[in-house]
Amino acid sequence: MAQIHVAHLRKYYQVHEKEPGLIGSLRAFFARKYRTVKAVDDISFDIEAGEIVGFLGPNGAGKTTTLKVLAGLLYPTSGEVRVLGFEPFKREHAYLRQFTLVMGQKQQLMWDLPPIETFLVNQAIYEIPDAEFKATLRELDELLELGPLLKKQVRKLSLGERMKCELAAALLHRPKILFLDEPTIGLDVTMQARIREFIAEYNRRHGATVLLTSHYMADVTALCERILVIDKGKLLYDGDFRALIERVAPYKIMRLQFDQPVSTEQLMQFGEVESNEGFTATLRVPRAQATEIALRLLAQLHPEDLTFEDPPVEDIIRAVFAGAVPAEVLSARATLASAAAAAPAQM
Amino acid sequence: MRRYLRLWLTFLKANLLLELEYRANMIAGAALGVFWAGVSFVSVAVFYTQTETIGGWNYAQALVVLGLFVITQGVISALLYPNLQRVVEMVREGTMDFVLIKPADAQFLATLRFARYSSLVDLTAGALVILFALQQMRYSPSWSALLTFVATALAGLLTLYGIWASMAALAFWFVKIENLSELFQSLFETARFPVSAYSGVVRFVLTFVLPIAFLTTVPAQAIIGALDTPLLVAAVGIAALALAVSRWLWRRALRNYTSASS
Repeated sequence: MAQIHVAHLRKYYQVHEKEPGLIGSLRAFFARKYRTVKAVDDISFDIEAGEIVGFLGPNGAGKTTTLKVLAGLLYPTSGEVRVLGFEPFKREHAYLRQFTLVMGQKQQLMWDLPPIETFLVNQAIYEIPDAEFKATLRELDELLELGPLLKKQVRKLSLGERMKCELAAALLHRPKILFLDEPTIGLDVTMQARIREFIAEYNRRHGATVLLTSHYMADVTALCERILVIDKGKLLYDGDFRALIERVAPYKIMRLQFDQPVSTEQLMQFGEVESNEGFTATLRVPRAQATEIALRLLAQLHPEDLTFEDPPVEDIIRAVFAGAVPAEVLSARATLASAAAAAPAQM
Repeated sequence: MRRYLRLWLTFLKANLLLELEYRANMIAGAALGVFWAGVSFVSVAVFYTQTETIGGWNYAQALVVLGLFVITQGVISALLYPNLQRVVEMVREGTMDFVLIKPADAQFLATLRFARYSSLVDLTAGALVILFALQQMRYSPSWSALLTFVATALAGLLTLYGIWASMAALAFWFVKIENLSELFQSLFETARFPVSAYSGVVRFVLTFVLPIAFLTTVPAQAIIGALDTPLLVAAVGIAALALAVSRWLWRRALRNYTSASS
């Protein structure tokens, strides 16, 4: 069985609605009206040990809800969930010892104390022997450069420094599975990259499974071969990230630079013109004919420089949300797997 | 059991460090403790300028009740109130998640995690009041009186914990429960006098509905050797009941738990 197995998971919430104004508030005080929100609505997937899987979707899509169900924090309304053979919502200690949860928006570090104090409390809770604790801390220190941070008060740390310490606090017990909810949120680009490198390295070293949600496409591009796209509680896509790009964005972006201005009319015969500022231009060209078109363009217009780029991933996700993905892509992961296998040949 | 004792010691150590970070706050807290103990002392003394006994208790005996009242208040502000506050905060902010994913009993982690050392002053003040009262009575308790005192005081503390842990569990449903703990604090004010000072219905309520009598009056009776066996049994029974109720409420609360932001 897969390390993480989710079948037909549903999580519905009852939320109470309040009409605006004083009367509405009074009415809500005496008789609350409830509405059902389908946070997760029939989702199935399996994740194998050692995979890094990205969970993509707009706010309120159900990503965090799914993570919380996996972490045993929410009881599923229906469906089957098994992680490492455990049913998470039973919150057996044997299970709790084997995973961790990091939430970019919430912190477990004690605000007024240096991080090391929280680490020691966690050591006691997870019953980590001293020698192992020291070894783990040394390794995390080496990977995250915690050194000077450990003895500074948490409230005096920068957001990025704090996230490093949060990650360390969450990994002291060497979990097999990492649930990371927006681990890079609010961090500057350099720090985001540092955290990403760390996650990749940790996964390589320990073979830990990582399931991460993020708003930043760069996180997903850098870390995940496989993504789950979710919106309004439904799973829209599950499969290879590259293959998705091939499917929903069958074009490439060609950037051109000229030593003399070129007219849009001249460019139009090679592809869809996205922009033309005289000396520089961008074209969209069909992926399959990209090389052929480039050769023709080089011969006729003599650009100074010509480069290809993949379309921005945000566009791709938007295309999935807009329903631009053909139905057979969504329904059959097998198709995707073969598409993924074939993809490198086209590049 | 030993594991949890060790865990609790780790927590207490972390809290000590936390409190030492804020020395001024700690000193102010201690001063406040002394002040309130003094106020309680005066309030009882004032009554006895008018009368010899209240509800069958003379001045010195009533001081034993008062001493226990001060101690109990110290326990509330040292161990119970800080945790209740944090539980409310964690439920509201969703950081309770971090407690619930830890491989240890969630009720234990949430209700015994924090402590306020400045309230140790109350415990000392309360103990001094009791010693002073015993000395006034020229009475030294027998071994059996001491033993029943320890038993009933322990039962009282467990009852108190059960009540507060139950209130904390209610935060999962109602999120804001500060008023509830205020209500308890106000009702607990009645415990500065022996429960027999109150008339029929109130006495019944304070004994059996809100078992406040078991927090101060009953241990006081024990130490002055005036406790009959049925009350001792009742004290233990009520402690067990309070703990059971808190356990049950926590289990229900966790089952109902949905994080503040999803």
